[in-house]
Amino acid sequence: MSRSSFYHPDTIALHSGYTPESDHGSRAVPIYQTTSYVFESVDQASSLFNVEQGGHIYSRISNPTVAVLEQRIAALEGGTGAICTASGMSALFTTFITLCSSGDHIVSSAQIYGSTATLLRHTLKRLGIDTTFVAINDKQALEQAIQPNTKLVFCESIGNPGLEVANLPQISELANIHGIPVVVDATFATPALCRPIDFGANVVVHSITKWMGGHGAAIGGAIVDGGNFDWEMSGRFPELTEPYEPFHGIKFWEEFGPNALAMKIRSESMRDLGACLSPNNAFLILQGIETLNMRMQQHLANTKALIEWLKGQDEVAWVNHPDLEENASHEIAKKLFSQGGGSMLCFGVVGGRAGGAAFIDALQLASHLANVGDSRTLVLHPGSTTHSRLTTEAMQAAGISEDLIRVSVGLENIKDIQNDFAAGLKAAKRLLKQQGSAQ
Amino acid sequence: MKLNVNGAEIHVATGGKEFDSSLSTVLFLHGSGLDHRAWALQTRWFAYNGYSVLAPAFPGHSLSGGNALSSIEESGAWLIDFLAAAGVDTVHVVGHSQGFLSGLELAAQKPAVLKSLTGVGTAAAIPVNPMLIETAQKSAIKAAEMMLQWGFGSNAHMGISATPGMQPIAIGHKIMSSNPLAIDLQCCADYLGGETALAMINVPTAMILGGQDKMTPLKTGKLVAQTLKAKLTVLEDYGHMLPIEAPKQVLSALREFIVSVEQ
Repeated sequence: MSRSSFYHPDTIALHSGYTPESDHGSRAVPIYQTTSYVFESVDQASSLFNVEQGGHIYSRISNPTVAVLEQRIAALEGGTGAICTASGMSALFTTFITLCSSGDHIVSSAQIYGSTATLLRHTLKRLGIDTTFVAINDKQALEQAIQPNTKLVFCESIGNPGLEVANLPQISELANIHGIPVVVDATFATPALCRPIDFGANVVVHSITKWMGGHGAAIGGAIVDGGNFDWEMSGRFPELTEPYEPFHGIKFWEEFGPNALAMKIRSESMRDLGACLSPNNAFLILQGIETLNMRMQQHLANTKALIEWLKGQDEVAWVNHPDLEENASHEIAKKLFSQGGGSMLCFGVVGGRAGGAAFIDALQLASHLANVGDSRTLVLHPGSTTHSRLTTEAMQAAGISEDLIRVSVGLENIKDIQNDFAAGLKAAKRLLKQQGSAQ
Repeated sequence: MKLNVNGAEIHVATGGKEFDSSLSTVLFLHGSGLDHRAWALQTRWFAYNGYSVLAPAFPGHSLSGGNALSSIEESGAWLIDFLAAAGVDTVHVVGHSQGFLSGLELAAQKPAVLKSLTGVGTAAAIPVNPMLIETAQKSAIKAAEMMLQWGFGSNAHMGISATPGMQPIAIGHKIMSSNPLAIDLQCCADYLGGETALAMINVPTAMILGGQDKMTPLKTGKLVAQTLKAKLTVLEDYGHMLPIEAPKQVLSALREFIVSVEQ
């Protein structure tokens, strides 16, 4: 079981959070495209505002269509609750700002998405929240980075774009001993491949724009409360254990226990930050989630085939994927990703930066863009785009070389992907030859 | 708030308002393996609408200290001490499942304390399959999973939640698997005093029952309602975990009943 449901993941993905509504019997989840909800009475309105009963007040805080998606994601991840947000980045910011205040500290993996690194390094710093970046699987480095004011340890279950799998059991055990929760961005994994809560993580964050939606048609984020962190015993989170004045002194931990964080995010952060997911986007992402597991299996099959093919090409300098022994975290990946380490891979084209650029420019089928997890194959050169704001040292720490091509392997027929990539490699080889003859 | 009862620090939810013993008090008693949070969506309404609320986590459960009580008779006696510690003479008692048995035993041992009695998803006796108790003794997590599978109705299994975004089964799983479930279940299995206690009840009563309840089947709860001539509410689409899976409907029935008793 997922701890949230006794149904299997495929069934949860199709049904959880919704049964046909009573008015019309709509089989599909309806889009409740509304800002607000009529109160039955003054008494009921008062009850809703005072958290005396569940229900919807205003779509910035909760919405019936979005709630179906939230409950479905919580069930898929095995969490006690989930909150959806406008984007993956707003999910991260909401999580960080709910758990941290000025003067607090975060320990983060150095191998993370460029925008997340910028958020931690610059935006949160401006708000008085410091971050120490570490090689997250280095137990000693992680322990040394923890400070008395550390509020969370952050990592990605598969690092972007270095594809290092985080040793979640080791990280969670160490952080929890110090009374610190572990927040994991599991965007590259999805619950179909790895559920971080099963390995001790306490909060899971997703950009549901990616594989969860799968179609590349809607942006969204999600925060899942694992319900497995003792906020009181930690002693570091008075905002969850002490009276919260804006809600008549409510104590989230005492009143809600395993879903205290989710309730805090709903009551405070969604109200104050306003980064809500639109009902229409929730509907679109629900359409994708219905086929999540099937799609992920095909993503894995295509990835495996493409890796084998790339390894056989003379123009490819190296290939990196968690399933390969050369990947530094391969042994961890085998434990955490029993079906396969996702559908992101990286490789280097001979000819370095220029070779990589020639490869990308020659592609006809794969799309060159700043997204991953689409049903279509996507390619990117992180050094000149998503991670361009990082210094050379920070790029190296994040596991990015200048020749690195990031591939999000799609669901096209593998022969077509290989033919497209063959054309790209041919262009890179031609460039290399031209450079050689020019010298 | 925290109350010292017989040397143990007991956590008591008060519905988000400071406890005031001068107000009419509603005592909420949780079921096996659960805690005060089972009543999170009922207690706040009473606390903010002219009542005082006491929703303890029984000894040895969640945020309460002490050891789990080993019989329903012992929990009845403990409730007398608990109410004395809170400075309360009379209460409306609301009990879910095992909590109702404890309420019955309180009534048997000190009838004068009751203003009214409400049973939620319960019966006068709760026989427990020995295999479940044995499982709970070996693994509270496995036993919790079995209870949650049987305990929730079809809507909760389909991930439907009264609170947007939340998953009641996962919440129940976390609470139950860290509480002394085996002892609680044994208490229920051993308790034979329900019928005798029922005969001693002479205050207004109500029963709120689930149509899909597999743990205390509807017909057993209806028998109690018949015996007590209780106000009966049947929530057809819900299972045994009524305060969690049907909080709004349970609150509505409770409000109607307790307010009418007060009037």
